[in-house]
Amino acid sequence: MTSIQAELGIIERDFTEQVSAASSSEELQQVKVAFLGKKGAVTLILKKLGSLPPETRPAAGQAVNSLRDRIEAVIEDKRARLDEIESEAAERSSMVDVTLPHRGRSGGGVHPVAQLTHDVIEILAGLGFSVALGPEIEEDFYNFEALNIPQSHPARDMQDTFYFPDGSLLRTHTSPVQVRSMLRHGAPIRIVCPGRVYRRDSDPTHSPMFNQLEGLLVDRDISVADMKGCLETLMAAIFSRPLKARYRASYFPFTEPSIELDIECVECSGKNPACRICKGTGWLEVAGMGMVHPNVIRYGGIDPSIYNGFAWGIGLDRIAMLKYGLTDLRILFEGNVPYLLSGRSL
Amino acid sequence: MLISWNLLNELLEIPATLEEVVERLTLTGCEVESVDYPCERLSGVLSARIEELSPHPARKELFVATVDDGAGRELVITAAPNLSIGDVVPWGRPGTALADGTVLGVRDFDGVRSCGMLLSAEELGVPEIADEFGILKLPADTLPGEDVKRLLGLDDAVLDLSITPNRGDLLSMLGVAREVFALFPGAVWRKNPAEARPGDGASWPDDLEFRGISLEDDGCPLYCMGLVTGLKRGPSPVRIRVLLTLLGMRPISAMVDATNFAMLMLGQPTHAFDAAYLPAREITVRSARPGEEIRTLDGKDHRLESEDMLITSGGVAVAIAGVMGGENSEILDTTENVYLEAANFDALRVSRSSRRMGIPSEASYRFSRIVDARIAETTLEYIFSLLEEWGVARAGYRVLSASNLFLENRVVALTRTKLKRILLTDDIEDASAILSRLGLTEVASSEDAKSFSIPSWRPDISIEEDLIEEVGRIRGYNETLPSRLPGSLHEHGDIGRTTRLKRDIRGALISRGYVELVNYSFLSPSFVELLRLPGDDQRARPLQLANPLSAEQSMMRTTLLPGLLRSVGLAVASGWKDPVRVFELGRVFLPLEEGHEEVERVCGLAYGGRDPRLPHGPSDADDLFTLKGDIQSLAEAHGVRIEYAQGEEPFGHRGQTARLLCGGKPAGYLLRLKPSIERELDCSPLFAFELDLAPFEDPEPLRFREPDPFPPVYRDISMFVPVEVSAGEVADRIRRLGGSMLREVGLFDVYSGKGAPEGKRGLAFSLAYRLCDRTLTDEEVDSVNAAVRKGLAASGCELR
Ligand SMILES: [Zn+2]
Repeated sequence: MTSIQAELGIIERDFTEQVSAASSSEELQQVKVAFLGKKGAVTLILKKLGSLPPETRPAAGQAVNSLRDRIEAVIEDKRARLDEIESEAAERSSMVDVTLPHRGRSGGGVHPVAQLTHDVIEILAGLGFSVALGPEIEEDFYNFEALNIPQSHPARDMQDTFYFPDGSLLRTHTSPVQVRSMLRHGAPIRIVCPGRVYRRDSDPTHSPMFNQLEGLLVDRDISVADMKGCLETLMAAIFSRPLKARYRASYFPFTEPSIELDIECVECSGKNPACRICKGTGWLEVAGMGMVHPNVIRYGGIDPSIYNGFAWGIGLDRIAMLKYGLTDLRILFEGNVPYLLSGRSL
Repeated sequence: MLISWNLLNELLEIPATLEEVVERLTLTGCEVESVDYPCERLSGVLSARIEELSPHPARKELFVATVDDGAGRELVITAAPNLSIGDVVPWGRPGTALADGTVLGVRDFDGVRSCGMLLSAEELGVPEIADEFGILKLPADTLPGEDVKRLLGLDDAVLDLSITPNRGDLLSMLGVAREVFALFPGAVWRKNPAEARPGDGASWPDDLEFRGISLEDDGCPLYCMGLVTGLKRGPSPVRIRVLLTLLGMRPISAMVDATNFAMLMLGQPTHAFDAAYLPAREITVRSARPGEEIRTLDGKDHRLESEDMLITSGGVAVAIAGVMGGENSEILDTTENVYLEAANFDALRVSRSSRRMGIPSEASYRFSRIVDARIAETTLEYIFSLLEEWGVARAGYRVLSASNLFLENRVVALTRTKLKRILLTDDIEDASAILSRLGLTEVASSEDAKSFSIPSWRPDISIEEDLIEEVGRIRGYNETLPSRLPGSLHEHGDIGRTTRLKRDIRGALISRGYVELVNYSFLSPSFVELLRLPGDDQRARPLQLANPLSAEQSMMRTTLLPGLLRSVGLAVASGWKDPVRVFELGRVFLPLEEGHEEVERVCGLAYGGRDPRLPHGPSDADDLFTLKGDIQSLAEAHGVRIEYAQGEEPFGHRGQTARLLCGGKPAGYLLRLKPSIERELDCSPLFAFELDLAPFEDPEPLRFREPDPFPPVYRDISMFVPVEVSAGEVADRIRRLGGSMLREVGLFDVYSGKGAPEGKRGLAFSLAYRLCDRTLTDEEVDSVNAAVRKGLAASGCELR
């Protein structure tokens, strides 16, 4: 063994000792300088190579270079390990409490009636109905006259109306949009009209304003059977399951025949005689409808000998109450913030 | 409308149970709202004759009666003072249950054992039928041992029917019997009260002879007058009193009960005048003179208008036609002779008068729904026969009448085609059978059509669809018709721009933490005041309702803000203390020079909360700029450009109010509420925005730009500017100075405070320069940037 080789052996042993003792990247850096720096042990030995006999130089040079490579590799390896340890410590020291509330804005609150309105519109759009809107301040003609409710008609008893001094009124139903749309678009026509309607009802259990949704289909050869199919599809979509339906003859001036639709109680399906939703009858009244009266079709500028159709109206507030399990109708219009926020999971 | 099941069965033999009748009526358009058994618990009461009657040996106020119900004699103690030997009375033996559920037993009264009780009307459950104080006396010919509950009709079931306004004909027992007859093909008439009873036509006594009836108002096409003489005081038969009570009317006297019973039976209201007090022996029906007055028999005074119709006699008003009689000629206990009116009045006139005067009488209710003109005289004859049957008056006189009545014979045709189109059946024979049971008469028939004559009591039937409805409802819509979707229902509809926009805005605001509210469309005057709206503000001149329910709901809203303020105010008043954001999408009603317009808007309101502490510090709190962020997110999502300008609103903080503009036109506001309003509402801070939806419905079309191929070069410029100069103005100035090479101007610092010169604040912008065809050199950028700096300095900015 040459003395160079012996020296290299000592250097390597020293290095191994020192590198394993280094416990931080600064210490590691000091070790690196001590061996590979300008005055490092390996650098000094390289300088000594020139003084060796020429025939031993290549072998000695190779041995030194090889040692340097090994030292560098060990240092890099050690550095990576120390970096990992140090960054882990740094991350752990800046730990946050993930259970803190989020910044700023929580999700808001959905109004059940507005939500239902949009849902119903989407369902009906899928059935080919387009949205038609109309004014809330209406003319007597569209609200009554054109719907076959002349001045002398007893049905005006049913609807106590808010009037303005000029004789216009707050629409008492969404039905005026029927005639307005027929006049605008002609037949065939399929429209749905959601909106606010108003009744001058002073009864404390009634609200002077509520939300209705009107549907109208006028085409050739339309039967009561078509109306049944359409309404049953709508109800099944609203309540996300097929529901038993019951049709009762009724009366509306603007339809002939007139029918009311009851659906099976969504709460008890008719199984609970003490049910507070259906009052034990098993049925819930959800829609008024009928075949459009020929006079109304005529007022809409359409020939009733060629076209006929059906129309219906549903009370969105009541259906929202049934669908979302709400108990008080008026609270829907009184902007009760805590109440509306309670429905966040809707 | 209350219906007696017993009475219905007296008129009609019905091959169905009560439950079946209820179900059928409900499905065919006459909804049965309830079935009531008024004396359900009463049981075991028998009729008994009083055989002996003596005072109680020990107690003066009591009597000992020996009664016999045919099954044996017993002693019963009673305190009633109205008994005599031979009276037949209701007796409850021990074990009998009274109407209130009490079960009788044997009771000792100072040594005398009372076997059950003799009963009063109250104990039977119908106090209204008592005609004197004490025990109820049964008709003298009643046999002992009869079941009193059945005898008096207390075993009845009372059906409450909901009658639709087109079916005035169902407001009588007769009408309901006709309907039930049509509903059950096996039903048979037992007794039809409408079948005319010929009177004996006796002429009127000279002293009561009538000069005439004149009809001067078109609203009265028919007026019949009958005469009743020798009226005796006293009650109507107990069975009638029970029926009236069960059907919701109070028994009064034989005469009044007869007219009420006839109305319940036939649907025709009548009115009785005391002959002694009718001012003259004539009747004139005319319109009221405006301002004319009458005191009705309920003692109230009414001022009349010309739309009211009056019955007058000798020029004096004696009744408001179809509504209520006058006090001046009302019949009393002492009345001997009665003029009895049965007339036909116009439905609308009666309905308007009774509604305006607030008199919802049984008569006006029926007239408002059209009374069969052919039933008036029949009703008088029916009342006469009741009075004679009861032996309380002489009534067989000729009926006088005046008539302008034009009774057309309505004929309506039914075609096979339409029947098939609407009800999917072409069985026109079956349809004809249904219609004839409803009282329609087939008058012409061919293979594809039949014509029917419509009875006078069905004025609601006038076109073919009416016939189809009758056939449809009686066949039933449930089993006879399938449910199907018309072929056209498989296309897709268009929900329209407004609806789509509102759906998107809802979704965006809800996800940004807003609670959706739906408020009434009304506006309270107190909010006009709260918002300090000056008189010349369009919003302070809302449309006024002519007939509001209350002052709070007397006007149509011109802004959505009050509803939101009210809701937050209420929440805070009830203890809410957290920050909260609310919004509403809805219409406001703006007055115009001519008329008004309905405008769709969105309004948002943020309340900072009573407790401002937040887990991540105050930077999380809402301020004007978080709301601006909400508006911007809506605007950007819909491609709408909104400009913000310093502005004023009557309710806005004078330093923190922005006007919003779209395409240069006003589109709303963004502001903090005036501090004085915050104090008034006890909520602070309050930030709000209100925005027209119109610009959103017509946004700029979405366009994408080619990415710039060459990197930008950045330069920062910072400066002090006078505080009254807005950052927006400075940015605009920079853009103008920078020309086409300057692509973006971004504000990155706003500084006011230490180091800023008096009246100035620091603004710092980052400017991005670039060209689209090559990379800019530093020299080019520096030269443009120097020009920008120079221009800014020239306009009063102090560059740093
Ligand atoms: Zn139920």
